[in-house]
Amino acid sequence: MSKNIWVNNIGKPKLNEPIALVGSPGLRSIGKLTIDYLVKKLQAKLIAELYSTHFPLIFHTKPSYASHPRLLGDAGVRIRESEIAFPRIQFHFSIFPDLLLANGYHANYNGQYAVAEKVLDFFEEYNVKKMIVLAGHGGAGNEICCAATNLKLIQEMKEEYGLEVEYKGSFYGFSGLVFGLAKLRNIDSICLFGRTEPNSEEAEYPDENAVSVILKYLSRILKINL
Amino acid sequence: MDVKITLKKKVQFKEPYLICGLPGIGHVGKVTIDYLIRELKAVLFGEVYSHFFPSYVIINKEGIVELMKNELYFWKDKTSKHDLILFTGNTQAVSPEGQFIIAEEVLNTLLTFGVKKLYSIAAYVGDQPVETPRVYGAATDTTLIEEMKGHGVLPMGNGNIGGTNGLIFGLAKTKNLRGICLLGETRGYQTPSGHTVVDVKAARAVLNVLTQMLDIQVDMAPIETQVDQTSDFITKLEEAESLMLRQMQSTSPENFSRYIS
Repeated sequence: MSKNIWVNNIGKPKLNEPIALVGSPGLRSIGKLTIDYLVKKLQAKLIAELYSTHFPLIFHTKPSYASHPRLLGDAGVRIRESEIAFPRIQFHFSIFPDLLLANGYHANYNGQYAVAEKVLDFFEEYNVKKMIVLAGHGGAGNEICCAATNLKLIQEMKEEYGLEVEYKGSFYGFSGLVFGLAKLRNIDSICLFGRTEPNSEEAEYPDENAVSVILKYLSRILKINL
Repeated sequence: MDVKITLKKKVQFKEPYLICGLPGIGHVGKVTIDYLIRELKAVLFGEVYSHFFPSYVIINKEGIVELMKNELYFWKDKTSKHDLILFTGNTQAVSPEGQFIIAEEVLNTLLTFGVKKLYSIAAYVGDQPVETPRVYGAATDTTLIEEMKGHGVLPMGNGNIGGTNGLIFGLAKTKNLRGICLLGETRGYQTPSGHTVVDVKAARAVLNVLTQMLDIQVDMAPIETQVDQTSDFITKLEEAESLMLRQMQSTSPENFSRYIS
């Protein structure tokens, strides 16, 4: 195996500047659950899977997104209903509007940037110009807030959807890096943060309420019924 | 992308000196460079991004996402013989490999601009609270050591200069670039959660020496105010440390055995 990161394409649909939607496991699983819901609701089709030698099956860090240079996790495979699966990122698409959905996965310390870059390479192959990152935050404030790659987008979110900037601070893991690196590539991106109560015992304990709040706003932004 | 250096402006430099200070112990280097950038109204002309930086981003107060990065600023003045290139950032690489690669890449890029001398700013960590921080120094040649002494800098003699601030200085020598490393004396306090306590007093001491060496005028009033504002906090840390030491010393073997019995 010569490469650390590789993408298996399953199909190559023709999409017209699709909007990328990105989420990953992490704080109360908000990003991951939102993407899972969208894939199901929109009956999105699987088009590619990204694999990496940097994806641990078992994370030695807690939570999984808090990577550490000396805690690289254990690799392995997952067996589900007798099927063998490697940890991976899945890409789905749906049309009207054209969307590319990425269900992220946290790489170990050595691979986080490279995986995020590869995901953005994939988006650029489909001519993605806009991206929406879906995540959670555990700070104070309203049930949802936003961040963006530029001030024009912040203004747009405020005026059209009443979304405010509330969360300030660090944003760890897969989704944070995809968001930050998208800025360098001039992909106009926003992030919707659903507010949640962090669970110290089980960081990824699902918060369905935060997911439904995000979906409510996403429905307005994408002009689709979710 | 191991390291990506993005230059935003094309600048013609006049015999530039490179001044480096990344975050580290007491943030002495970073505070020094940030202060010069602010007071000299230096202009941003380059950004350094790297996969070796910590893997998270920052959402700033305006809601804009920022990658971890290093920055390059320049300052020009008609009366000055040398332009200044200032190198700092919100982070430095975590791994030794990353620190080497970034220091090397930045240095190689800046050498193409004709950099004549390098000043790297770091911290000199003492084991006692510091009332009046001294400035220690190391240099790539003995002439520069003598020059430093003339500005009241104490030659470091033996010791280590960790991280990128040390590496960039060491790598300068391998590239025949003359350089000085100035180290502000600090206790190097950290908060209980492991965050670095900014030592403005140490940075002020370095700034006093550095501005003399560079022969530039910088208004020191704002940093004097910052020293006053932070001194109470540092005093409290020193008191807490001293109380802890007294308690440890007063725990005689008899006391200790009573405690655990």
